[in-house]
Amino acid sequence: MASKTATKDIITLRGSTAIVSEFFGYAANSILYNRGVYPEESFARVKKYGLPLLLSQDEGVKTFIANLNTQLSEWLEAGKLQRIVLVIMTKATNEVLERWNFSIETDKEVVEKGVSREKSDKEIMREIQAIMRQIASSITYLPCLDEPCIFDVLAYTDMDVAVPFTWTESDPKLIANPQMVKLHSFDTKIHKVDTLVSYKNDEWDEQ
Amino acid sequence: MIVRTPPPKKRRSEATESPNSDGRFIIFEDLPEPQPEPEPSHQHSDQMLCTYQCRQLVKADFLDALSSAEKQSQDYKSKVETMNDDLHRSEAEKMKFRDQLLYAEQELAAAKGREQALQDQLLKEIHESQERLRKQIHIHSELEVKFRKEIDLRKNAESLLSAAEQKASLLEGKLSHVSESIEREKNRLQKELTLLKEESKHSMSRISADLEMMECKASNSEKEAAVLKEQLENLQTKLNECLHEKNEVEKKLSTSTYQEFSSDDSILVKHLREELRNYESEVHEARKLKASHEDVELLREKLLEEKGRRERAEAEALKLLEAQINGKKLEDELSSWKSTLKEIPGVTSAADIPLKFEALQKEVLEGMMKMGEVTARLKQVEVALDVAENARQNVETKAALTNEKVELLKLELKRTELMLSSTTEERDRLKIIIDELKQQKNVEAGSAMTDGKVKELEASLSMKEDLIKKLESSILEQKDVNARQHNEMKLLNERLSNESRRIKSLEREDDRLRSEIAILESKLGHGDFSSASTKVLRMVNSLAVDSDAKKTIEALQNELQQTKDKLQAIEELKKQSGDAGTLVDSYISGKVVQLKEQIATLEKREERYKAVFADRISVFRRACCELFGYKIVMDDHQRSDGIPVTRFTLQSIYAQSDDEKLQFEYESGNTKILGNNYTQQSDISHQVEIFIRKLNSIPAFTANLTVESFNKRTLS
Repeated sequence: MASKTATKDIITLRGSTAIVSEFFGYAANSILYNRGVYPEESFARVKKYGLPLLLSQDEGVKTFIANLNTQLSEWLEAGKLQRIVLVIMTKATNEVLERWNFSIETDKEVVEKGVSREKSDKEIMREIQAIMRQIASSITYLPCLDEPCIFDVLAYTDMDVAVPFTWTESDPKLIANPQMVKLHSFDTKIHKVDTLVSYKNDEWDEQ
Repeated sequence: MIVRTPPPKKRRSEATESPNSDGRFIIFEDLPEPQPEPEPSHQHSDQMLCTYQCRQLVKADFLDALSSAEKQSQDYKSKVETMNDDLHRSEAEKMKFRDQLLYAEQELAAAKGREQALQDQLLKEIHESQERLRKQIHIHSELEVKFRKEIDLRKNAESLLSAAEQKASLLEGKLSHVSESIEREKNRLQKELTLLKEESKHSMSRISADLEMMECKASNSEKEAAVLKEQLENLQTKLNECLHEKNEVEKKLSTSTYQEFSSDDSILVKHLREELRNYESEVHEARKLKASHEDVELLREKLLEEKGRRERAEAEALKLLEAQINGKKLEDELSSWKSTLKEIPGVTSAADIPLKFEALQKEVLEGMMKMGEVTARLKQVEVALDVAENARQNVETKAALTNEKVELLKLELKRTELMLSSTTEERDRLKIIIDELKQQKNVEAGSAMTDGKVKELEASLSMKEDLIKKLESSILEQKDVNARQHNEMKLLNERLSNESRRIKSLEREDDRLRSEIAILESKLGHGDFSSASTKVLRMVNSLAVDSDAKKTIEALQNELQQTKDKLQAIEELKKQSGDAGTLVDSYISGKVVQLKEQIATLEKREERYKAVFADRISVFRRACCELFGYKIVMDDHQRSDGIPVTRFTLQSIYAQSDDEKLQFEYESGNTKILGNNYTQQSDISHQVEIFIRKLNSIPAFTANLTVESFNKRTLS
């Protein structure tokens, strides 16, 4: 009988950064598809984390997310990134309707000393899979987005981070009196990512 | 009452004592012969009488003795009967006592059994209580572990609290600094507001005038460009027609005979060459038209730039309005703050507010902490009260149960003791009866039997007494054990109550910590962050901007392609016009004359436009110089990376030397200042830092510099 002990894989800072930035790319695409920010026909189906996921084929979105991930990877490797927030706003009035909050806790020892950690890749994939499922099932409780919407991504960084010329300081685009739903989290032993969605109370629900 | 001992017989008197007084029947004749006395015979008759009388006396005595013996025998018979009756009765009583003894033994056995059962029950209860105690001790140990964990959590929370308090104190210090800086900035902003207002008014008027001018120029240039385009197109069509006719003529010429070649050919060739030159000149003029067209397009671009500037100016005006509104809000806030300052006791200036605020906050925090402590203590006391009441109720029920048990045991003990006393009394009575019977010694068989049985009964009674004593001692021991166990249970109950109180307090702390964690998580989820340690960034080129930029890029690319196509067409035309030139018809020459006339008029017009443009430009430059106080020199440069840029050199009319020049570089809507010796001076660099770097306003910088130069000039 084969042994069932979980084999642990060595995870370095760079590897963990790649996992987290890749996760964010797929999560952002999944959110854009599930929330209907872009039309369904602009998405293509791919297999990732053992699930069928959808990726946008819009060149603008692709380049935007690619450029974003490049900068986020840089900040993650430096241990300067605290949070990533994907904000969905109405196109007409820029009113913030939803905030998908990805909080990141970084193991400072790994960043400073360059040590590595051990965790099974399968375990990490399983945790990410759970989050993707929750994002897909979020349409059951999130209010419908009737208006045309746009999205933006905010990065919460340390104060000593040099702002690149393609980035600028911004307000946090908060929602007043939001409803909050905490989703699962995943941990690579170097970066721990907690997911939370806060959304504006639907007027019908308030009534 | 039956007399057991017959009364003593009464003895007769001594005188009448007869020889058979001892009860023997003595025949008188058997009487011992008296001693013959040496008495005379006369006494012989007397003796015969005496014997008869003696015999009569003896008979009487004998009869009396008989009767008395008979009476005695009857008495003895009656006594024996009574004794027999007594015996029977005693036997019956003995049987009764035996039955009672047996009953007592049975009851003793039952009491023993009950005691055993009670002991077993007590043992069971003790075992159960021990097991419960063990479980509770186990639970207690688990609770202790949880308690230690909670203590650790609490320590962590306390450390977090202390860190948060330190942060809060830091924040409060920063608040005070920020409030001071806010006041300073308010004053500065107010000054800047007034300056900005004036500048904006000037700039708005300037920009509107410039815009109108540029619009007029643009419309004029557009019209001219349209006209020129039409002319170009006409020329092109005419050229095409000329070429077509040329080709036809060539064909005709080729079909005609070679002989017709005469000296006129050379003249023709000369004419053709001249016309070629003319065509070339026309092409050159067409190129010039194209250059002017390009100039028109440049003007159009400048128009667009001016429009952009106008939009920026409008945006700045909007910002100004917003700044005004903010300034009004700040003024309102200032006034409200001042009014609150007056209302707040103990505060004389704005600097006192943060201190007062801190003091009030501290008081509020202390009050809240005290309230929290008091409520916690109240809750603890309530919990302790509840626990004590529960414990008391438990103890009371247990005490009642034990009391009931003890009373039951006591009752049973009393019952057994009573039984014992009754059996001992009966035994004593039986003993006395037996002793009496023994003393008489007449009824041997029954008394011997009863003695044996009584001895057996006595032996069994003594055994029972011993057993009872042992039971009593064991009961006392059990009582002592029970009392000790009760005490232990009480102690354990007290410990339990203490632990349960501790558990409740820990649970309350746990709830409080969980609520704090929920609050912090909600803050995190809400998006709150500490501005001291975190900043929020977003990409400049968001998708909307990218799409707009892409659209403009695509439009520009399309225009480029169109202009390239036009250039290619014109070059082809030039080639075609260069290849042609052998034979010209009079129709073609007429057309050429017309084209020349048109070209002349276009040239004149162009010269006129140039003159007008030069005049207007000079007027514009002079006006700019007089209005804004700067001589502006514009020239084109190419940067090291090959990008063409426009450089503006500004010299103030109030400059005291030729070195006081400002240089700006303009590229696709962005103007930036270039550094030189003049701008590196301390006061100029300071102004550059404030107006250009921080406020991003070149007009403000130039206006300020103009005012300062004017002041220097006038003062000097």
